[in-house]
Amino acid sequence: MRDILSSVRQRLRRVARATRTSGDAGHGGEDGTEANGDDPALDDGAVVTDGGTTAGSDGFVDRLNDRFGDDFTESAPFWLPPFLLVGLFVYGAIAWNFVISLTDYQGFIGPDYSDLDFEMYVRAINDSAVIDATVNTFLLVVAFTAVALGFGLLLAILIDRNIRFENTFRTIYLLPMSLSFVVTAQFWLWMYNYNNGVVNIVLGTVGIGPISWIGNSSIVLWAVVFALVWQFSGYTMVVYLAGLRAIPTEHYEAARVDGASTLKMYWRVILPQLKGSTISAAIVLMVFALKAFDFLYSLVSGYRPPNGADILATKMVREAYSTNNWAYASAIAIILFLMALSIIGPYLYYEYKQGNL
Amino acid sequence: MARLELDDVRKVFTDDDGSDIVAVDDVTVDIEDGDFLVLVGPSGCGKSTTLRMVAGLETVTDGDIRLGGRSIVGQKPQDRDIAMVFQSYALYPHMTTRENMSFGLEESTDMADAEIDERVENAADLLDIPELLDRKPSELSGGQQQRVALGRAIVREPEVFLMDEPLSNLDAKLRSQMRTELQRIQEDLGTTTVYVTHDQTEAMTMGDRIAILDGGELQQVGTPLECYHRPANHFVAGFIGEPAMNFFDATVEGDRLVTDRFEYPLTADMREAVEGADGVTLGVRPEDIEVTADGPASDDDEFDTVVDVVEPMGNENAVYLGFEADSRDTFVATVGGMRRIDAGESVVARFPSDAVHLFDAASGDALHNRSLEDAADTEPRI
Repeated sequence: MRDILSSVRQRLRRVARATRTSGDAGHGGEDGTEANGDDPALDDGAVVTDGGTTAGSDGFVDRLNDRFGDDFTESAPFWLPPFLLVGLFVYGAIAWNFVISLTDYQGFIGPDYSDLDFEMYVRAINDSAVIDATVNTFLLVVAFTAVALGFGLLLAILIDRNIRFENTFRTIYLLPMSLSFVVTAQFWLWMYNYNNGVVNIVLGTVGIGPISWIGNSSIVLWAVVFALVWQFSGYTMVVYLAGLRAIPTEHYEAARVDGASTLKMYWRVILPQLKGSTISAAIVLMVFALKAFDFLYSLVSGYRPPNGADILATKMVREAYSTNNWAYASAIAIILFLMALSIIGPYLYYEYKQGNL
Repeated sequence: MARLELDDVRKVFTDDDGSDIVAVDDVTVDIEDGDFLVLVGPSGCGKSTTLRMVAGLETVTDGDIRLGGRSIVGQKPQDRDIAMVFQSYALYPHMTTRENMSFGLEESTDMADAEIDERVENAADLLDIPELLDRKPSELSGGQQQRVALGRAIVREPEVFLMDEPLSNLDAKLRSQMRTELQRIQEDLGTTTVYVTHDQTEAMTMGDRIAILDGGELQQVGTPLECYHRPANHFVAGFIGEPAMNFFDATVEGDRLVTDRFEYPLTADMREAVEGADGVTLGVRPEDIEVTADGPASDDDEFDTVVDVVEPMGNENAVYLGFEADSRDTFVATVGGMRRIDAGESVVARFPSDAVHLFDAASGDALHNRSLEDAADTEPRI
């Protein structure tokens, strides 16, 4: 694969060089086709067209190439279209959403872009429902990520001990991840059922409960976190397992010979080497936690999650599609966006510092 | 520092299908306090397994390992006062050299930080790496990592150093340099050391004594020169020495050894030694073969040969000789590097009777070893 790519690249570079010389020749009033004829690679019509623009604005292109690297303009046909599409439909949409959040758009009459202010944000900050939803979102993200990481790590360490049926266990733990939120939500709804749910029946045998998992507003968020942990710790386990497998056995042995107890060995020698796995798993988990909307939506088949489990995503959709407060919903969306950015931003910066970007 | 005794140590691995594989078979070695013992043998001979049993990284199936007279079988690695140097160095990548070296002391003792620091710096001085203390392993070259791995063992001041092919990842020049340095450090510290290698040069040059293993069984324990001049059996004779000893299968017929190429006269000593043996293997080291240009062969122990290939090494030439031109079955002799000798040349090879070894063809045991002036000092010990 790599060979093909590099040969394509080389070919393109040759074409660009040839067209540049032919372009220069054209300026001089001489026949440029001779230069073209020398290079059989010039048969690629599409690329030549690109080279054609090169000839016209040589200085500008050279400056661009100097700034961004040799093949910046040559490779433009490949990266520019997706770049523009993503720019328009992702970043453009975010920008438009931000503009809407500055208007007073609500109901069925279109937005008025002449009067832009931060009124909706002020309203959000003073709205206790939004504050609750923000706190819940934050708790969900932090608690879910932390518990899923811890639990996944524990599973990975246990599975990494050369146990029998290792592959079977790994598949079993990973399986919930393959299920859709709709399925797991319905499934946990049954599990948490007040009268017949498995959870209450099991707890009932040891004399606890029954507990209203979904109905009690101070418990429901943790019930949701538990269900999500169940679904995603298999994923964390796989990420950690890959990390553990990359650590040579000699490190365990060296630590043991150095006199470290098992706990100290993991804490001081193994865990620090799993930093990369932890960061990448945590990012994925946090993003999933922010998307917990699907789960909550499926839990109650509607935009109104159980009391105590309202998060920004559900609040946003409810404002938009139940009450048609478009501008207000957009403001909440931007708040959610900033929260997501505050998670991804440091990660991207870390990767940049590590030289991975 | 202490004496390390391995007493009938045995290790059996059970395969997935339930069959047993004997990795180490009743190995008994006694390593004196301060001794440098090299465990040497081909891949899969059980030398690493033996070392790992001493370290506590493998359980002992049967037998006893005593350190300073006290059995350490069943103890966890962290409770045995040992330090190990791994082939891959096993430096912790997230720690600096200083942290790597102090880790063992922090975990195994309750020494004060200042004292640990002092020990680390002393060890760094000894190894000539004080400027590397604040670097991470990824910023070190292979040779430097090797020194850090050694330093990590040295700071512990353990009873025993265990080294598992520590030099095999270095290039040839660095390897010979580190070989000398390791020996110097071991002599300075006087710590009992068990060193595993497959490289017979390391075994010959480094060890006070060497233990040769094959197929999990101990073949011979002795000083390097004992093993070289008085090999206990065919395997040891072939393993120690480079280029390897030449072997010829022969039968005893009266006072002569008869091979399919030549006949060799037996001395009275040899006749006595081979009595009762059916098949005998004659062994002679390449450097003991005398190669002379003036033929034809006039004596019983001289043979007419043709030079097949010459490998010049500078200090010596390895000459491959065949009994006839273009023969595939050749044996090797070494001659001085300044001597000019060409392929295709006819020469006379002489096997001096005082340099000949005889082995029992069936068991491989040595029946007769070469004679030495100081034979009394080099009686083989097993």
